[in-house]
Amino acid sequence: MNRIEIQYFAVLRERAGTGRETVETAAATAAELYDELATRHDFGLPRGMLRVAVNDEFADWSQPLAAGDRVVFIPPVAGG
Amino acid sequence: MQSFSFSSVPLEPERYHAAVEDPSAGGYASFEGWVRDHNEGRTVERLEYEAFESLAVKEGERIVAEAVAKFGVTRAACVHRVGSLAIGDLAVWVGVSSAHRGEAFAACRYIIDEVKHRVPIWKKEHYTDGDSGWVNCERCAAAAHDHEHEHEHSRGHEHAATAQHDYSRQIALPEVGRAGQAKLAAASVLVVGAGGLGVPVLQYLAAAGIGRIGIVDGDVIEASNLHRQPLYGIADVGRPKVAVAAERLRALNRDVRIETHETKATAANIDGLVKNYDLVVECTDNFRAKFLVSDAVVRALKPAVFASVHQYEGQVQVYRPLPHWPCLRCLWPEAPRDGMVGNCAEAGVLGPVPATLGALQAMQVLKRLLGLDAGEAPALVTVDLLSLETRRLIARRNPDCDHDRPGEPEPAAGRSAPLELEFATLAEAFESGLELVDIRETWERMHDPPGLQIPTHLPLSALVNGYLQFPTEGRYLIVCAHGVRSLSVAEQLRAQGLDEVYSLRGGLAALRS
Repeated sequence: MNRIEIQYFAVLRERAGTGRETVETAAATAAELYDELATRHDFGLPRGMLRVAVNDEFADWSQPLAAGDRVVFIPPVAGG
Repeated sequence: MQSFSFSSVPLEPERYHAAVEDPSAGGYASFEGWVRDHNEGRTVERLEYEAFESLAVKEGERIVAEAVAKFGVTRAACVHRVGSLAIGDLAVWVGVSSAHRGEAFAACRYIIDEVKHRVPIWKKEHYTDGDSGWVNCERCAAAAHDHEHEHEHSRGHEHAATAQHDYSRQIALPEVGRAGQAKLAAASVLVVGAGGLGVPVLQYLAAAGIGRIGIVDGDVIEASNLHRQPLYGIADVGRPKVAVAAERLRALNRDVRIETHETKATAANIDGLVKNYDLVVECTDNFRAKFLVSDAVVRALKPAVFASVHQYEGQVQVYRPLPHWPCLRCLWPEAPRDGMVGNCAEAGVLGPVPATLGALQAMQVLKRLLGLDAGEAPALVTVDLLSLETRRLIARRNPDCDHDRPGEPEPAAGRSAPLELEFATLAEAFESGLELVDIRETWERMHDPPGLQIPTHLPLSALVNGYLQFPTEGRYLIVCAHGVRSLSVAEQLRAQGLDEVYSLRGGLAALRS
């Protein structure tokens, strides 16, 4: 189990009801982590529409996670 | 000797020294202002000081008294020159004696700073090229609020009709200077969208003295825009945004050439617009336009600044036509659909959120034009106005992104039936034989006037979340507030095989009531 710090933006924040949380997870990759959280928070947004950043750098969904990683899920935003 | 006085003959600090001497003083601090040979990049030969003396003396004495009271110094005095001065001449002297040095330095600093700001003294510089000009009128701003001083203020100055835009506060930055100001004056910027983001972008770019600014927007001003677009007023409702923006910006700065393009950005017009400007600022509220602009600047090899907001947060991204810089599609390979993630009209927003993001965009533009962005790595910057956190997420070019793709056809083009239909009134739409489906959220329907309500209601949020399903057969006209969400839904339903589904072009906002 890894302890991961997570930050949400825009609609994901609304659906999660929080901007950030820390989770203990067995997810090995960013993709697995998102799928786990999407189920828990009922995100309803397909992964393909989002980007993930790990430790302040955009990453592939296949990026392996390590304990203490900071993961940010970012949906595209259109308002102006 | 008075605590503040003017002298039309050369200053003699040794003589003034006696005025601040006191047995209880343990220290003396003094400041001398000299005439230097340059100002704002121009060579100065000599200068003249002119003061409205009776008033200036009173204000000067007040400042010296304030300094004595504020810092508890023993004595203080100031003498200012008037008349013609040569390079190296003493222009102003300040002397302060005090028990301790700290207060002496502080009071001395206070006096000279306040004198420069508050005392009505004007300086005329004579340059080596024969030109001359009145400069450094720190008092202008203060005098506008000061009725007592109005008469002398107007006497000393050229007024609004002939006033020149003064860039001195930005030229004063060593990284800007006259050369930087010239770069701004030579630059042209296209601003796509004159809404919540576009308004501050336009205001700050026009105020900064960008030579030519183009504005692209096809909308008219609505009362619901004003809270986040305060360039416009309530009397402007119903007028085209580009027309009102142009009026206001011309009034702000006559140096700037404002060009209006009263149209939405489309696949047909975007390349023609982009090619006439050095840099593009993308300020719309929909993905269709954002990707249209991204593709166009990639093709045209122009830099661009993108931003968008959602409720209390926003994102900024700069694009530069360099091999390793990502475009919008590199970051979002699956171009998102409008309506999936909300925009200002549907999701709600506080005015300062787009204002902050727009100001950041204007800053990125100035940085690019002035060359202050050297070494900046490509990134998406997120800003959260609730937590006041910003995050810089390093972004890379996506090797799978074709990046410089040719222009995408409009979604409606090449299809057997058009995707959008236009109606003048809701009644006409009902008469078309299509079933109207309102996909707005419930709260958006609350203010619909009776008789103008659409019975079939499938809120987009419920469709996206899968709580409700769109029927798999039938003939439908999808309706939303501005025709953005409805177009996206119609497009998806067509792709799912529903042939007779249309979007109401421009949404309810485009209908005649």
